[in-house]
Amino acid sequence: MNTVLLLALIGTVVLVLSSALILSIRTYQKSLVRSAATNSSRTVAQVSNTVNDYLAGIDGDMETLKETLEDPDVERKEFFDVFLKIRPDVAAVSTYDSTGELVNCYSLLGEVRPNLETNTSFDPGMMDKYADGYVSAPHVVSLFEGAYPWVVTMIAPLEAGSEESWIALDINCSNISAYINDVGIGQRGYCFLMDEDGNIVYHPQQQLIYSDLKSENIDLIETLGDGDHIEGSVIYTIQSVPDSRWQVVGVSYVQEMITDSVSELGRILLFAALVILVAMLIISSILSHALSRPVQSLAEAMTQFEENAEDFTYTPVGGVREVRTLSESFSHMVIRLQSLMGTVKDEQVNLRKTELRALQAQINPHFLYNTLDSISWMTERGKKDEVVEMVNALARLFRISISKGHELIPIRSEIQHAESYLQIQSHRYKNQFTYSFNVDEDCLDHLCNKITLQPIIENAIYHGINGLVDGGEIVVSVKGEGDDIIMTVEDNGNGMNEDQIAAIMNKERSDHTGIGIKNVNDRLKIYFGADYGIRIESVPDEGTKVIIRMPKVDRGSDYEK
Amino acid sequence: MRSKKILIALALVISLIFAACDYSGAGKDSRYNIWLVVKSTDTQFWLSTFAGANAAKAEYNVDLTIVGPDTEEDYEKQNEYIEQAVREGADAIVFSAISYSENAAAIDAAARAGVKVVVIDSDVDSVNVSARVGTDNVQAGRMTGSAVLDTDEEEIYVGIVNFAQGSRNGQEREQGLLESLDSDARVKDIYTINVAATPEAAELGVQNLIAEHPEINVLVGLNEPLAVGTARAVVDLGIEDEVRVVGFDTNPECIELMRDGAVSALIAQNPYAMGYLGVECAWKSLEGETFDPDTWIDTATTIITKENMFSQESQQALFSFG
Repeated sequence: MNTVLLLALIGTVVLVLSSALILSIRTYQKSLVRSAATNSSRTVAQVSNTVNDYLAGIDGDMETLKETLEDPDVERKEFFDVFLKIRPDVAAVSTYDSTGELVNCYSLLGEVRPNLETNTSFDPGMMDKYADGYVSAPHVVSLFEGAYPWVVTMIAPLEAGSEESWIALDINCSNISAYINDVGIGQRGYCFLMDEDGNIVYHPQQQLIYSDLKSENIDLIETLGDGDHIEGSVIYTIQSVPDSRWQVVGVSYVQEMITDSVSELGRILLFAALVILVAMLIISSILSHALSRPVQSLAEAMTQFEENAEDFTYTPVGGVREVRTLSESFSHMVIRLQSLMGTVKDEQVNLRKTELRALQAQINPHFLYNTLDSISWMTERGKKDEVVEMVNALARLFRISISKGHELIPIRSEIQHAESYLQIQSHRYKNQFTYSFNVDEDCLDHLCNKITLQPIIENAIYHGINGLVDGGEIVVSVKGEGDDIIMTVEDNGNGMNEDQIAAIMNKERSDHTGIGIKNVNDRLKIYFGADYGIRIESVPDEGTKVIIRMPKVDRGSDYEK
Repeated sequence: MRSKKILIALALVISLIFAACDYSGAGKDSRYNIWLVVKSTDTQFWLSTFAGANAAKAEYNVDLTIVGPDTEEDYEKQNEYIEQAVREGADAIVFSAISYSENAAAIDAAARAGVKVVVIDSDVDSVNVSARVGTDNVQAGRMTGSAVLDTDEEEIYVGIVNFAQGSRNGQEREQGLLESLDSDARVKDIYTINVAATPEAAELGVQNLIAEHPEINVLVGLNEPLAVGTARAVVDLGIEDEVRVVGFDTNPECIELMRDGAVSALIAQNPYAMGYLGVECAWKSLEGETFDPDTWIDTATTIITKENMFSQESQQALFSFG
């Protein structure tokens, strides 16, 4: 399958998926922020209610305490022992006269220390402002030795007339923790208690704030009224505690919720893209397996067949039905073509053989005329014995030429044929040359193509020896070499240069009669293959050596078809 | 052949789903094991440190083991704790060294074992420390100096009670103190004694010092137990009105003595922040964050006097919450 197409497909799917996801993330984001804010207000309202209940409880206690203090008949020591035990969140109860001097103090933390220079629990200066009482900012209690709990002080006026004008209730901040500490908003959100002056009354991480390791953006929070406020990545939810100076502040983070959901969606997108990619790969692999791969391999096979039809073998490919049919048809076509080519080749060889046979049957008319002319001369001169010899040689020549129509004859006969020819020619050329045979006896019974040596000897005489005045010499030798037989015809004549050799090897005879060297060579190759044939070595003015190589043949029927 | 391919593809898809699940479930399930090795375990200073460390423990969800020797001289015990921490598979050690030099080998060995080291309060002579958190002691010494000089006296004779000479903190505080005293012509003489960091040793040392140099009118105790001992000696000798005491840290006894007038100033460090930041830095180092170990992460130091001790700021520095 086309890679570009595949990529484009994946790209489109990813694009559509991601834009859909981005859109849904946007919507999701908005609703998340809304629901986070709602969640935050609900939590903060709840905290505000519980703190309100707590303060109402304290107010109730305050009333009881006031009544008790105003009643001179009550045994105070006993009362406070019980009260402070059942209310561990009250650190101390103290009373002050109209000038702000400490009158009485009741606490389980100990006796009031002797030289009390600073009293953080009561500030007479504030009394002018808050005649009906107030709740202080958080501070430590400085009344005792060795005990400095963090408290908020609740101050209320006592009925005029007695020595005690004010009552101060020190309430442990840490006791408020129960209402604040375990409140969570979102993953990291929390809430804290702040008074209207921006003092943190209770914070889950108060000590971290006191140690400058954490801080709240009090300046900002003070400017915000009750309700939800999204400031950057933080949602502040503020709710005043009714009838008090306190506010519950909820702090939660938009970022984390949104980031989490976005990364979650991102993961889904990534995963979906991966699944699609894998699916695409599988589909493309299946398609390519079924369709394009077989077609491609078929095309390659066709190219190969084009290049080398003869040695081509074809294994049909698999795939879808259409491709299989195509492949099988091609397979049949290949087989049919190859068999046709074989037939054509056989026919051509046969034709060639027939042509050669026809040529062999012809006798060079010049040779015959010259020979008969010689015989006639001899007869006139009464050379009876020589005439007999010539005629016999001529008869032998013809008999072997015919050889009952066999193409392959024993080497023995071929040697006789060559010898007869040389006899006739040596008469013709008036003993201008001598000849000799050097034949390995073992080779005589093997077969060879008939009229192999004669054309070569003819060439040696006409082109090699003819020019010499005398002393020409032709040596014919036959010997075995492994599975081959080597015949050589050597002369000491004029020799040939490279061009002449090439001409002889490649040209049919110009008179179109008799058999040329090319003809002999062709025959050898047709019968025995490309490894066999004629090779000519020649040095000008020194002589020529023609080497014939053929296999050792014992049964002519193997080659005669 | 084809079914084999489909099988391979199926395996691929399944492994991908697993990979995605693994990816979405990324996160550690094993918590870091952090050891806090300090100098002792009973002074207010160290108790505040532990409170801070525990706050960080909760915030960062780590396992925290807190150990320290009985005396602030026992560096050998500290070395044993370090070795124990390494043996028990600590990921990080938050360490306050008794001895700058003698604790170095143990810390180096721990670092070689792959443990991250964060120093708080007192330094150790090691290049293997990831972060250092604590008071700038030279600066704290200068603050001590300014508290000493905050007087109407014409002539000032200073007695300095310092702890073991091997401790880097004591040396640096003394250095800062001397620097600031040198700049004032009213300072006529300075006498320094080195004693073990216990109130008893300081008390005895101060009594001897006063006997020898009755002209001394300011005494400085350079850490929490020394401040306590110095103040006790002054009260014992009944010379609260003649001799002012400047101390370190916020021991409850010193606070009471300050209210009574025997202690005139306290240099309040922020041990809670040291504990918190020490554990926080250890966690961050383990998470791959790097700090410059040569720059101290400074925890705030404040001067507390009788006059300002109930200001909002001093209350927060002096008294821990809840």
